[in-house]
Amino acid sequence: MTGDRLLNVSDRWFRLLLRLYPMDFRDEMGDSVVEAYRDRAREARARRGVIGVAGVWVHALVDTLRNGPGERARPAVSWRRTGNWARDAEFATRRLRRSPAMVAAVVGTLTVGLGMFAVVYTVVQKVLIQPLPYTNPDDLYFVWRDYGPIFELKRGWLAGTDIAELQKAGGVIEEAVGLGRQLATFAVREGADPSEISVISTSPALFELLGVSPALGRSFAPTEVGPGRPEVIVLTHELWTRLGADPNILGQDVRLNGQPFSVLGVMPRDFTFVRHASLGPPQPADAFITFPVNLAETSPNGGSYGALIRAPPGTSPPVVASAVDAVGRIVDARDFDSRGLKLYPVGLKPDLVSDVRPALLVLGSAGVFLLLVLMVNLASVLLARAAQREHEVAVSRALGADGAAVARATLFEGGLLGLLGGAAGAVVAIWGTRALVALAPLNLPRREAIAVDWGIGAAVAGIGVLLGLLAAIAPATWAARTSLATLLASSAVRGGGGHGRMRSGMVIAQVALSLVLLTTGGLIVRSFDRLLRADPGFRPEGVLSIRVPIPAQFHPDIEDARAVQERIEQALAAIPGVTGVSGVNSLPLTASANQTTIGIEGAPGNTGNPEQDRPLVDWIVARAGYPEVMGMRLLEGRTFDAARREGVQEALIDDHLARQFFPAGSPLGAKIPFAEGSLTVVGVVAQARLYDIHEDGRPQLYVRAEDTAFRNLFYVMRSSRPPESLIPEARAAIRAIDPRLAAVDATTLDQIVGDAVRQQRLSAVLIAGFALGALVLAAMGLFGVISGSVTRRRHEFAVRLALGADHGRVLRLVVGDGARLVAAGLLIGAPGVYLAGHLLRSVLVGVSPLDPSTLTAVALGLGVVAMTACYVPARRVLRLEPAESLRQE
Amino acid sequence: MDRNRRGDLPLRAVEFDILLSLAAGERHGYGIIQDIQSRGMTPVPDVGTMYRALARMAESGFIEAAARRRAPDAGDERRNYYRITAEGLRVAKVAARRLEAITHAARLGGLLPRAAK
Repeated sequence: MTGDRLLNVSDRWFRLLLRLYPMDFRDEMGDSVVEAYRDRAREARARRGVIGVAGVWVHALVDTLRNGPGERARPAVSWRRTGNWARDAEFATRRLRRSPAMVAAVVGTLTVGLGMFAVVYTVVQKVLIQPLPYTNPDDLYFVWRDYGPIFELKRGWLAGTDIAELQKAGGVIEEAVGLGRQLATFAVREGADPSEISVISTSPALFELLGVSPALGRSFAPTEVGPGRPEVIVLTHELWTRLGADPNILGQDVRLNGQPFSVLGVMPRDFTFVRHASLGPPQPADAFITFPVNLAETSPNGGSYGALIRAPPGTSPPVVASAVDAVGRIVDARDFDSRGLKLYPVGLKPDLVSDVRPALLVLGSAGVFLLLVLMVNLASVLLARAAQREHEVAVSRALGADGAAVARATLFEGGLLGLLGGAAGAVVAIWGTRALVALAPLNLPRREAIAVDWGIGAAVAGIGVLLGLLAAIAPATWAARTSLATLLASSAVRGGGGHGRMRSGMVIAQVALSLVLLTTGGLIVRSFDRLLRADPGFRPEGVLSIRVPIPAQFHPDIEDARAVQERIEQALAAIPGVTGVSGVNSLPLTASANQTTIGIEGAPGNTGNPEQDRPLVDWIVARAGYPEVMGMRLLEGRTFDAARREGVQEALIDDHLARQFFPAGSPLGAKIPFAEGSLTVVGVVAQARLYDIHEDGRPQLYVRAEDTAFRNLFYVMRSSRPPESLIPEARAAIRAIDPRLAAVDATTLDQIVGDAVRQQRLSAVLIAGFALGALVLAAMGLFGVISGSVTRRRHEFAVRLALGADHGRVLRLVVGDGARLVAAGLLIGAPGVYLAGHLLRSVLVGVSPLDPSTLTAVALGLGVVAMTACYVPARRVLRLEPAESLRQE
Repeated sequence: MDRNRRGDLPLRAVEFDILLSLAAGERHGYGIIQDIQSRGMTPVPDVGTMYRALARMAESGFIEAAARRRAPDAGDERRNYYRITAEGLRVAKVAARRLEAITHAARLGGLLPRAAK
């Protein structure tokens, strides 16, 4: 092989190796690299012959393997490869810095919009999406009973025997626990200040089932349940902290209703648990004890147990459902003569969030709409900016500049503005979320977990960037297409560039989106207004309520307890300003009453169908004067007198029961078999609504407190003073009677009404905010388009005026253009309104989703705002002086 | 361009070696490697490493391409020559002064034998 041939082969090898380098490096440096290798190879050949050259080859391979990929990975190079992004970015940033007012306006808008979106996104993410803090939470299910054929109760508690049966079932029901709950008077030790805590009584396996272990101590042993079980208690971290976070608390005795319980463990800080309720909000837990009874030995017809089961990981819900159904059939046959009562499971998460899900979905969708409005708004701003550079771009493109560079600059502007807005929005959302949680319904699931975290912040910033980039696509493509020829052609007719049509399109989109948001907002606000105007069946203003449980441990004899209740009522009545006091076991709008079925033998309304003639009713225990203090309406007869009649158990029924059993006659004096005795109807009242503020719930039956053994009563006081101001005096009066009693839940009835409509209030405020924001943005867009068109068509208008058109005609021409855009937007938005109405159906109260008056009002309002946004800039044509204007050209 | 003003950042070893070679006059690529080799510096940069550094430094404005011309030391073939720019010289001097200061400190600290005066 001659020397030169060897070197030529070398060159080919080196050129082959070069392919490992990125193309631009090859272009720039490739020849030099090969030459340098060739020099080195020549030198090696001179010194060591072919062996030396081979050594250079190997060396070159190693060198290239190291440097080629390294060069490819250099970010600056990959930028350079697709054009000079760094320089584009620099120019774009510089241009943005030159118009701080525009940047401030855009970033401000994005901050508010994305901030609102971030708040809603946080709530939806934390409540609906984020898994519960248990092991494999998707395999946990609550089990409920559907009383379907017997009475209208779809989500009833289970009896202890049902839970024992679930525990026996095996198969996909890996584990089952029962959940009872009591409010207990709690003291760290005998004689310490009493408070009331919520205690969950459960089966020992609860914590293993959830997959969470105590942070301190241990959980219940499998044997620590049933009669004679050790009295042990597991505290939540929150209660333990409230008690002073004593690390030596294990083994100490605390008092529940005066009874000593030894502290067995303390749960970890992030552990929370709520018992889902048959009706009403989930019940939080402060502490856990085990059942003092053997569930299998309890009565199959009583008991209010929640049931929680776990399935093996990944079991599909239908499989769990059929396993639970099988158990349901066993107990239906054994305890209910196979009348068709069913058991069914609901996933823990769906069960928890089912109430708020529709509202959150509406809010989330409204948030997405808001994002779309923001995006279109940003797009039209970017388009306007790109249009300002129309001449510059066209000329530089004619001179051979890269068309893509303009597009890149616009994309970069969009992305950067979006990033700034998103980041600022995430920061704003931190406070926004706190404010929202403070306003949120107290029973909003996972309330404590709702806060902006890093993941959400990053997601919102990312959404901002994405929104900016998407918004920039249309303007960027338009800018990249701009050429001198089209510019000259368009300026010749003074119609402006093609961006005019694009901006009009954006305005139409904005109007359409605003229409949907405004209708949604309008309907929700109207629905909320209906709620506020609803008559709940009582007069809440001026009423304070306070609850005083009287544990059996303090007053074992029920007669003693009733005497204490009497003394409490008298003491409260003696507070200056109090005009009436009574007691009740469940307050309106709190969904907290007990249920039972009743029948009235021989009543004219009976149909003969035993299931229909024994309706399920809410029975409420009240003391004398309750309807009067609450301001309920008495329809017939009388209420409970202060004096009781010996041997008579009095009852009040509501108008629903009166109508069912006595459609024509009077129910007064009718006898209702109840518990072991019989009630005598003495009056008919209108419902003080127990569930929803806007509609009656189940039929109601009021029983005298003295005829029952209820130890846990709310005392309601009507007063001429502001009810809050009674609280200290009421507490002092109760302490004076028995210092061991805890006076809890002091609240005004106005607050209870407020809490009942909190969720709707929040939705109304948020969605109204979204809708108004969208309206303002749409008006701004319209203003911009009309204003730009007046500027651009000045020449045309001047010619028209010069040729004899009057100013009014030209004005109508401009405003007419705007009106066409608005009309197009309204038309396009109409199907959206229809679809949004569909989604809204489940959250609206007393308003049809296609409520004509709301729709008309929204369309008119939007039209008026939009036409104002057209008219104000259009008026400039009135000042147009044709002569002067034409001379300028 | 202003984003290339990184003169006060410490230079990488290979960059300093290249500037040092070019400070004495224009050279082509392999000439630089030979020069570095002749100074007894180890490790001598590989061809790929050096050209990547050359590309970066040209971008930064420390060096620039000189005319392509015949190289007597490369079989009289034509080669691309490079020369140092004023900015490159300034940066190299800053780096050299730092090295001098470090060397001085190292002598005072006993890491290097004291120079015989």
